[in-house]
Amino acid sequence: MLEIKNLNASINDKKILKGLNISIKPGELHAIMGPNGSGKSTLANVLSGKEGYKISGELKYQGESLDEISIDERAQKGIFLAFQYPTEIPGVNTSNFLRTSLNKVRKAQGKKELDALSFLKIMKEKSNELGMDEKMLSRQLNVGFSGGEKKKNEILQMKILDPNLVILDETDSGLDIDALKIVADGVNSSRNKEKSFLVITHYQRLLNFIKPDFVHVLADGKIVKSGTKELAMELEKTGYKGIN
Amino acid sequence: MLNFKISSDEIDKIGNFTKEEKNFRLKNLEYFNDTGFPNKKNEDWKFSDLNAIVSKNFNKLDIQFGKSKKQKVDFIKDFEHNYIVIINGELTISDFRYEEKDKITLKSFINDNYSNRKENNPLINLNHALSDKGYFLEVKENYKFKKILVIYYLFTNDLDENILNTRNKIKIRKNSELHLLEYVVNDSKKIFFNNVHEDIVLENSAILKNIYLQNSKSSGYFHKYSINKLFTESNYTSFIFPAGLKFNKLDLEFNLEGERSECNLQSASFINNNEHQEIKTRVNHFSPNCRSHQNVKNVLNDESKGVYQGKIFVKDVAQKTDAYQLSKAILLSEKCEFDSKPELEIYADDVKCSHGSTSGNLDKDSIYYLMTRGLSQQESTKLLIDAFLNEVADSIKSNSIRNFIKTKLETQLQDGY
Amino acid sequence: MKNQNTNYNQEYKYGFTTDIENIKAPKGLSEKTIKFISEIKKEPKWMLDWRLKAFNRLKVSKEPDWQKPKFPKIDYQALYYYSAPKSMKDKPKSLDEVDPKLIETYNKLGIPLNEQKKLSGVAVDAVFDSVSVATTFKDELTKKGIIFCPISEAIQKHPDLVKKYLGSVIPISDHYFATLNSAVFTDGSFVYIPPNTRCPMELSTYFRINASETGQFERTLIIADKGSYVSYLEGCTAPMRDENQLHAANVELIALDDAEIKYSTVQNWYPGDKNGVGGIYNFVTKRGACRGKNSKISWTQVETGSAITWKYPSCILQGDNSIGEFYSIAITNNHQKADTGTKMIHLGKNTKSKIISKGISAGKADNTYRGLVDIGRNASNSRNYTQCDSLLMGNKCGAHTVPYIKNKNSSSTVEHEATTSKINEDQLFYCNQRGLNQEEAVSLIVNGFCKEVLQQLPMEFAVEAQKLVGISLEGSVG
Repeated sequence: MLEIKNLNASINDKKILKGLNISIKPGELHAIMGPNGSGKSTLANVLSGKEGYKISGELKYQGESLDEISIDERAQKGIFLAFQYPTEIPGVNTSNFLRTSLNKVRKAQGKKELDALSFLKIMKEKSNELGMDEKMLSRQLNVGFSGGEKKKNEILQMKILDPNLVILDETDSGLDIDALKIVADGVNSSRNKEKSFLVITHYQRLLNFIKPDFVHVLADGKIVKSGTKELAMELEKTGYKGIN
Repeated sequence: MLNFKISSDEIDKIGNFTKEEKNFRLKNLEYFNDTGFPNKKNEDWKFSDLNAIVSKNFNKLDIQFGKSKKQKVDFIKDFEHNYIVIINGELTISDFRYEEKDKITLKSFINDNYSNRKENNPLINLNHALSDKGYFLEVKENYKFKKILVIYYLFTNDLDENILNTRNKIKIRKNSELHLLEYVVNDSKKIFFNNVHEDIVLENSAILKNIYLQNSKSSGYFHKYSINKLFTESNYTSFIFPAGLKFNKLDLEFNLEGERSECNLQSASFINNNEHQEIKTRVNHFSPNCRSHQNVKNVLNDESKGVYQGKIFVKDVAQKTDAYQLSKAILLSEKCEFDSKPELEIYADDVKCSHGSTSGNLDKDSIYYLMTRGLSQQESTKLLIDAFLNEVADSIKSNSIRNFIKTKLETQLQDGY
Repeated sequence: MKNQNTNYNQEYKYGFTTDIENIKAPKGLSEKTIKFISEIKKEPKWMLDWRLKAFNRLKVSKEPDWQKPKFPKIDYQALYYYSAPKSMKDKPKSLDEVDPKLIETYNKLGIPLNEQKKLSGVAVDAVFDSVSVATTFKDELTKKGIIFCPISEAIQKHPDLVKKYLGSVIPISDHYFATLNSAVFTDGSFVYIPPNTRCPMELSTYFRINASETGQFERTLIIADKGSYVSYLEGCTAPMRDENQLHAANVELIALDDAEIKYSTVQNWYPGDKNGVGGIYNFVTKRGACRGKNSKISWTQVETGSAITWKYPSCILQGDNSIGEFYSIAITNNHQKADTGTKMIHLGKNTKSKIISKGISAGKADNTYRGLVDIGRNASNSRNYTQCDSLLMGNKCGAHTVPYIKNKNSSSTVEHEATTSKINEDQLFYCNQRGLNQEEAVSLIVNGFCKEVLQQLPMEFAVEAQKLVGISLEGSVG
């Protein structure tokens, strides 16, 4: 699904990722853990195609290079990024936006665009699964949402867009335990043989709810250690300083 | 180069006046001839040198324009409404089918105020000197309009380097309410100058809701000076949606004369080409406990220019004033320009007055977020512009009217971006 | 419960006069006066020519009239344009030769000039009416190649630098008062920081007007060469007199590549009495050019004195990535009037500017912020942030905000915010409840309101400025 080889990324002449390697197969869930400033969010941004980074190395998605592929095309090809801090966009109605987004993705994948009614049905169903108040969806996109609501909205979008590769950027930050469970359930119920996940997190806490197949430790722009979920437990005990 | 000096013969050509009125017109013509069209040296015209603009674009300006031809009106079908039709400034037909007729006065305007003030804005003097058309509308006491009144302002295709000086007055008596849509339809493909003087009075507890909407872009040069008097507990809400003109300056003065009166001004426009859109406001808080709120939004593309000059004045007795002013502009092209001068002049201490003014590009993070959800750069930009402008239209309460406005705005955006 | 502290109404504490014999130029403004000034300063011919050029320009220019504070017409022929203590005629070679009365004056102002007592870490140029009395730490600065001397000395000793930069930021023809200054300027400071040098101490000029019927026309020129840094500050006071005295200074700053100039002012000219009689007309032109890439000019001002203050310390951001800042506190009480602000002219790419203005108005005073932010067509990716807050005390005073904002570049962002309010009564009550009297509470709250600006001042002066903020508002809250 995703093949990253010797990835380097810098912003404003500052090197952030320094030769990162990772390989994710369909159906796998990988967790990347690391201290603040290790490059976790940069990795998420680079995968999404965000501008402003100088990049070298190999970045392959479903066997094709992602170079020269714009942000929206990546999204249409099924890469989904759940933001650490979802952007507030005043004046844009949440459900209208979701429909526009879904139809863009469907169209790119050669599927029929959904009319308002059938979309509403899907949206209702998915938002109920997440225990979201439907009223929220008639509000402006992320505007005035609490931290938890914003994250739930990200998971809702993930469920609706049904992507192949999901990147969760610190989705657990700022969530209380109930919201965390809902978010984790949302992820777990979406897991299947075709879908891959890359879960970026600072704390082991989230991994109690979302069981990873592999755990990687990111430090100073490189993967310094890889293992299974036991590695996350170990990290919890020793802290990042204990690694290496 | 155009000679702006206007001969006093022009006044005689308009009609026969009483001695008093004639003197008033002559005096004002003299004032105008002294200064000509305002230029950059006039503080209120700092960002738009009208003198230069007029000399550059006009070869002549015909003052006399005979009777306008009857015009077929393309009435709005989206909602039921009363209407007045104004052709080239002249009152023609009207229909108040939903109202009690004896509660309304409508007639051609006759000026009866001959104050001999030298205006800081020479265009007002010019209007005083030469105005020959217009209407007077009065809503009598304790009457609330049942349906909206649409005033169709039609400009005919035989206008060509003319200057129209029109003068309108609206008076809403005690406890009465009027909802108005001023709908401008321009058929002229040529350039012309439209110089309007508007006088609005809201008596105690009167309510006026006004929407100004341009049907489409045009080659007109428009200037309107509007003086609005608000008495105790009256409430004026004004929405302005300009679609783009060669030159459009709205000079609006609101005098909050009575306690607890309130005025609310909202504007949204998307302009492009080499259009010029300018709003100048002066809100005078003369009494305590009044509220004023302004929200002016501009999106600029190509070589267009937007200007906002807003002033809040608070007199020493006007305690507990709540005044707010916000201007936001989005610049989309390399050659557009936005200038603003949001001004506060405050002499009372127990007040809440603030303003904000921003100009710049669309938020890059928002575009990024939308693109990660599969929208292209162009689509993301458009969605954000739409959202930016729609905020204003969204505060219109009536569904049918709001949808009508939003459709118009959407079309303008489709054509322009 | 009113405050128990009765001893709050301090008089203007710098209002004394030094009784000293003066040499004056002939009264009035004429070619003769200008020649007198040039001669007594032993200036080269090019300098006199420059002055006369300005004088000719002055004859055809008019006083500006757009500003908010109006003032009675100044009779330029009734003023003395040069006044200096007689003892300064033959330049004293060392401090020992300076008239003790002058030294004593500066001691009283809290600016000791002699070796033992001089302020540590601050080099001072003391200007008394039209001449510089003494400059401290000169030798130590010279060792680093830094020039810090009276401008009249620079004209003689460093003519190339003066010729190159004088009038290059504020042209002779700029506006009436700038032109007047160019014709008749007497003294002021000259600073040159050589490349890659960090000036090891604060440089400071202390301006004192003493003589009556005299205008002070100082001229300051600061050049920070490539990669250098300097922090400069000026202070000013004047005796209490019934007449209005004119102070029309020109200050020019030039920052070359990677250089930074920090310029701070604590302006405490005599503000006039409670009824608005007397006080200084402070009409000052201050402008800095960020000529080099990555250069920075930062203005900080605390304006508490003067009957009328009228100044707009500005930045011309020519160099790419250059930065301009303006931090201002303007306090007006009684009949004082202030019309102050800044201009940020963005010409280079990636230029940034920040404006923080705090205006406080009490008594019957008027306080205006007037500013211009101009983003030019080529100033891509530039940013401006402006915050103007006004505080009103009582309803006989006025607070005004007049910003001009021009943006011609779509990749640049301008943000302007302004508020006007009165002093928060809950805050006052809270302070009162904790035992502070009204004056103390006001001083505390206003200092909090001004904090962002006060923080910009060099340590040595921040404390003084905080006290000044409190004193300036005394008697304003009943």
